[in-house]
Amino acid sequence: MPFDDRGEGSDEALLLAYGRGDARAARILVLRLTPWVLAYAARLTGDRAEAEDVAQEAMLRLWRIAPEWRSGEARVTTWLYRVVTNLCTDRLRRRRGTGLDSLPEPADGAPGVEARMQDEARAQALEAALARLPDRQREAVVLRHLEGLANPEIAEIMEISVEAVESLTARGKRALAAALAGRRAELGFEDD
Amino acid sequence: MTESELEALFATGRSRPVPPSEALLARVMDDAMAEAGARAGLGAGPVRGQDRRGRLAALLAVIGGWPAMGGLVAAGLVGVWIGYAAPGGLDTVRSDVLGSGYEITDLVPSLDSYLDSDLAEG
Repeated sequence: MPFDDRGEGSDEALLLAYGRGDARAARILVLRLTPWVLAYAARLTGDRAEAEDVAQEAMLRLWRIAPEWRSGEARVTTWLYRVVTNLCTDRLRRRRGTGLDSLPEPADGAPGVEARMQDEARAQALEAALARLPDRQREAVVLRHLEGLANPEIAEIMEISVEAVESLTARGKRALAAALAGRRAELGFEDD
Repeated sequence: MTESELEALFATGRSRPVPPSEALLARVMDDAMAEAGARAGLGAGPVRGQDRRGRLAALLAVIGGWPAMGGLVAAGLVGVWIGYAAPGGLDTVRSDVLGSGYEITDLVPSLDSYLDSDLAEG
């Protein structure tokens, strides 16, 4: 099944067409947007099942706003990033209410593992460290360094200034570096 | 941990695929269609005046529209007239099949009797 269907017009044009009852436009949007909505939710929550719930809910909100969508006011992707960010934040706060024990623990690793296993260990270590960051720092770091967005767009998504984004990402990265400092060798980073 | 080491971790995170399951895609598509259906007035809920007109139009469309409804009305009126006028040919059938002990009005209730009962009840 093709997941990346980018030749069928802009997201906004398709959303407006869906708002007028075009089922074909809905199908293209499902295939185009669901994968990255899911990936972003998974990076923020670190939980596949929770990310699926968030993705479905975010897309449902998109369907509901379609008839009222104002052309040219915001990018569909920016709007979706904001919705997913808020949904994930709500879920993570509820999860934290049950205590830090429910957060993923850093994975055990061993020096000399094969590259694929090392990638897995690195990804899990990053995920666990991200989960322990304050919400806003985690959102800014994920948007900047995992989603690859520019600071102005992150500022629009998070509804803060570009300077605030820079501050959040800088503090978030310092916190990540400190949290992972003791695991450098385990994650395959050797001293020169 | 250095900046470049952190960047290596981010690169690993970026390269990890999170493919959606077909079940998720189907659920999202179902939601899209359900929302579109609800907006089109096909969803459940209280029937408002405009919806009633819509449902009457849908019923008419099923039987062939207003021309078909005109045909039905005409057929109904012919039936009423036949019942009221009691055509003479029926007398022959009655006498051949049942003999002379019955009148046609014993077999075919006339419009008068309906009208009488309606007036009596009203």
